[in-house]
Amino acid sequence: MEKREKKKVLVKEKLLKMPPVADELSIVGRSAIRIDAYDKVRGKLKYGADLEYPDALVGKVLRSPYPHALIKRIEIEKARRLPGVSVVLTAEHVPGRNGFGAVIPDQPVLCGDKVRYVGDGVALVAAETEEIAVQALDLIEVEYEPLPAVFSPIEALRPEASKVHAKGNLLMTARIRKGDVEKGFEEADLILERTYSVPFLEHFYIEPDVTCAIPHPDGTITVKGPMQAPFTVRRNIAPVLGIPINKVQVVQTPLGGGFGGKEDSSIDIGARAALLAWHTKKAVRMEYDREEITLSTAKRHPMVIQCKIGVKKDGTLLAFEGRIYNEQGAYASLGPVIPPAGGTHVHAVVMLPGPYVIPNINVDGYLVYTNHPYGGAMRGFGAPQVNFVHESLIDELAEGLGMDPYDLRMKNSFQLGSETATGQILDQSVGLKDTMEKAKEAFNWKEKWRPAPDLEELEKEEKRKGVGMALGWYRTSIGTSSDGCGANLHLLEDGSVLLYQGITEMGQGAYTVLSQIAAEALGVAIEDVRVITPDTDVVPEAGPTVGSRSTTLMGNAILMAAEMIKKPLLESASDLLGIPPNRLIAKNRFIYDREDPTRCIELRDAAKRSMAMGRRMLGQGWYTPPQPSLNLETGQGSPYFVYTYCTQMAEVEVDIKTGAVEVVKIVAAFDVGKAINPVLVEAQIEGGIMMGLGYALMEGLILKEGVIQNLNFQDCMIPTALDAPEITPIMIEHPTIHGPFGAKGIGEMPNIPTAPAITNAIANAIGVRIYDLPAHRERVSMGIKGRLETRI
Amino acid sequence: MGVMAKSQIHMEVNGKRVSVEVEPQELLVDVLRERLGLTGTKVGCREGECGACSVLFDGRVVPSCLIPAMKTDGREITTIEGLEQNGELHPLQREFLNRGAVQCGFCTPGMLLSAKNLLDENPKPTLQQIREAISGVLCRCTGYQKIIQAIQAVSETMEGKKV
Repeated sequence: MEKREKKKVLVKEKLLKMPPVADELSIVGRSAIRIDAYDKVRGKLKYGADLEYPDALVGKVLRSPYPHALIKRIEIEKARRLPGVSVVLTAEHVPGRNGFGAVIPDQPVLCGDKVRYVGDGVALVAAETEEIAVQALDLIEVEYEPLPAVFSPIEALRPEASKVHAKGNLLMTARIRKGDVEKGFEEADLILERTYSVPFLEHFYIEPDVTCAIPHPDGTITVKGPMQAPFTVRRNIAPVLGIPINKVQVVQTPLGGGFGGKEDSSIDIGARAALLAWHTKKAVRMEYDREEITLSTAKRHPMVIQCKIGVKKDGTLLAFEGRIYNEQGAYASLGPVIPPAGGTHVHAVVMLPGPYVIPNINVDGYLVYTNHPYGGAMRGFGAPQVNFVHESLIDELAEGLGMDPYDLRMKNSFQLGSETATGQILDQSVGLKDTMEKAKEAFNWKEKWRPAPDLEELEKEEKRKGVGMALGWYRTSIGTSSDGCGANLHLLEDGSVLLYQGITEMGQGAYTVLSQIAAEALGVAIEDVRVITPDTDVVPEAGPTVGSRSTTLMGNAILMAAEMIKKPLLESASDLLGIPPNRLIAKNRFIYDREDPTRCIELRDAAKRSMAMGRRMLGQGWYTPPQPSLNLETGQGSPYFVYTYCTQMAEVEVDIKTGAVEVVKIVAAFDVGKAINPVLVEAQIEGGIMMGLGYALMEGLILKEGVIQNLNFQDCMIPTALDAPEITPIMIEHPTIHGPFGAKGIGEMPNIPTAPAITNAIANAIGVRIYDLPAHRERVSMGIKGRLETRI
Repeated sequence: MGVMAKSQIHMEVNGKRVSVEVEPQELLVDVLRERLGLTGTKVGCREGECGACSVLFDGRVVPSCLIPAMKTDGREITTIEGLEQNGELHPLQREFLNRGAVQCGFCTPGMLLSAKNLLDENPKPTLQQIREAISGVLCRCTGYQKIIQAIQAVSETMEGKKV
């Protein structure tokens, strides 16, 4: 008796620490420390390359040195006879479909008749050691007959151009037709026509791709490695081996970064390792080294974009016309449409006019094969390219009108009820103008902005400061009909919880955020939730970890799963408390009476009772987001169900003599719907901005005759701590009805408007517009020289 | 054989004496990861550019992918696994945790060791000195800001003392 009283007092003390309002959130909205950080700071977390496979063979790929060539003959006998070589494989050894790809399986596991880019896979070797495998690659003789190659989308569209694929080089066209652009331009007081270009970009995730394929006696095969889309990997490996999907088990290892790149690369390396394991009946480990990754894996699509925009004197936007030449490279990857509005290309076309109300719009986008590496997913998925265009264009338009670019944007940008280029009415969660105002205040924009200097002013100084801004919008999830997301949540009798889910942890903090959502929904603590590593044999289909979809879609699936077990849990609590279940609240490991919170029990006692009574302990959630729509002929529809919005403002200092640009400061405000974990959201913001800074000033692959000239970190710079500006992240919450607790995606948005914010700041500092990324010092310096020469 | 002979090296790794027989071309990073099981030291490029493999070599941060194992004979090596003392996180580890300075975690060991090297030599670094000290380690996730803030926080609590 006494013991029970004591326990009750203890419970009451604990209750005092709980939020007084029953419906107030206690875990969501707080910056819980990430659940994987403790192991990461101690070097204890095992990544793919840290796992030991003592008897595994080493797999290697022989790659094409030609951008486009017929394979006349492959001689593998010498390699096969080398002691220690287990197997040498070519196209003829693929038992099933010789092709993989995230959308269309047009990339050969091993090229049979021809190669389409430098780095294409031609043969595979499995050997006892790395040295032997490398030696064996040298012993394979391939006779090529080089073909004429195409290296730009515009060139590839010419009728006489060499064909990369038999069906022709134009992979797809997407367009927007809205209003009457001719009429719009007739009524315009000012029209601007410009052409922009952006280069191929490598993700440069720091952890190299690595995988191990392990065959089992029953014919199943396990593939283990860092991946962003284990279910896509599974879906690709099964047909390559000609076995049912349920015989392929894909197991996730923690990612040392992905940024979209490990969506494609894990299919590539996974399918090849699986093929070697299938033939050798032994485990095969494969690792791509740094230069091999840059050489062979997917990139951010390069684009050439021609644009025309018309505006009234008062700043009202009237008409927009755009043409996108989107270079797909050798293989389709994530370029083409996944109905109705998925795929990089459609996304780029839809986003090109920007977050502005424009009544008349024509956009034509051509997605074109070339003999370059292929474009895939990279943080922003087609949006960073077109954002650079619309934000550069509107900035220059403001200059032409003699307006503050902030005011021109404020006048035309989206708000609740606005109609987008695709005719979608934005009927909820539109905080764009709010982000503009918050950024303006924090940056002190109205004090800092003044028109770009005239020539005389420019000559006076050695260094000049300038400010620039850019807006951005980005969808949550991927605009496809096939966008279901499942989760299982298992409550155990001691109140602890197992979360079975397939979103991968790549540094973004997904496991932490999803644990917070599960804990909040069930009324347990975040420590009570154990996230089971994505393993396709164990967790339900979740779709890929891409498109800023994880928090929203998986969060919703978890809420559905939680709901299923919470009802019986509250019934059990009701049994114990003698209070009807509808008056009970579960929070912070307690279940208590809404009307008298002192009447409560520990949640684990209710869980124990549920177990004892045989009540449901397993919850299943399957969330399907609102169905997207898009007519590819007219570009009209509602391609994505909600958008995240942002405003970024940059201050730069340009060295007039050298053209070197230093980014001093960036203020960035985001409408995130709801920040489930504010520190993790800030981390996404800061990291995305830094990657955007690289896009603006230094990154980009240089290709000559189809050969990448800057394969490694030394030749292709990415930002270091020396480039880090002061970043002020600001979060604004306009909750979406479609998100868990109102949350929208945040992974990609920060990366999108940084480049134009910086290049607009450069223009503001020195009066030189940047039309081609990156704005490296030679380009900026040439711009300054060009401007100074105009005075003669 | 001759010059290609294996040799026995003795070094102190995370305070413990170890002896390993190494090949002439063998690199420190591989000895640490494969022979000693210290996989906290990461490999990102094998070209000395990314800093993921950074370790302390007699207290100074070096990319272990460029160091021939033979050169470590008689030297002291500290890897990320050696940063904790008696189960207690180093103040840098604690601040990295608390301030959200860890994302994918692949650069974290190199960052922590670079920061330790800096604070050991200069307990009160300026912002620019912090930036320089960690500029040899590439991070693609964080934007560096939270890492820099974590190092500043440790420096402030140290009040000029060694940690």
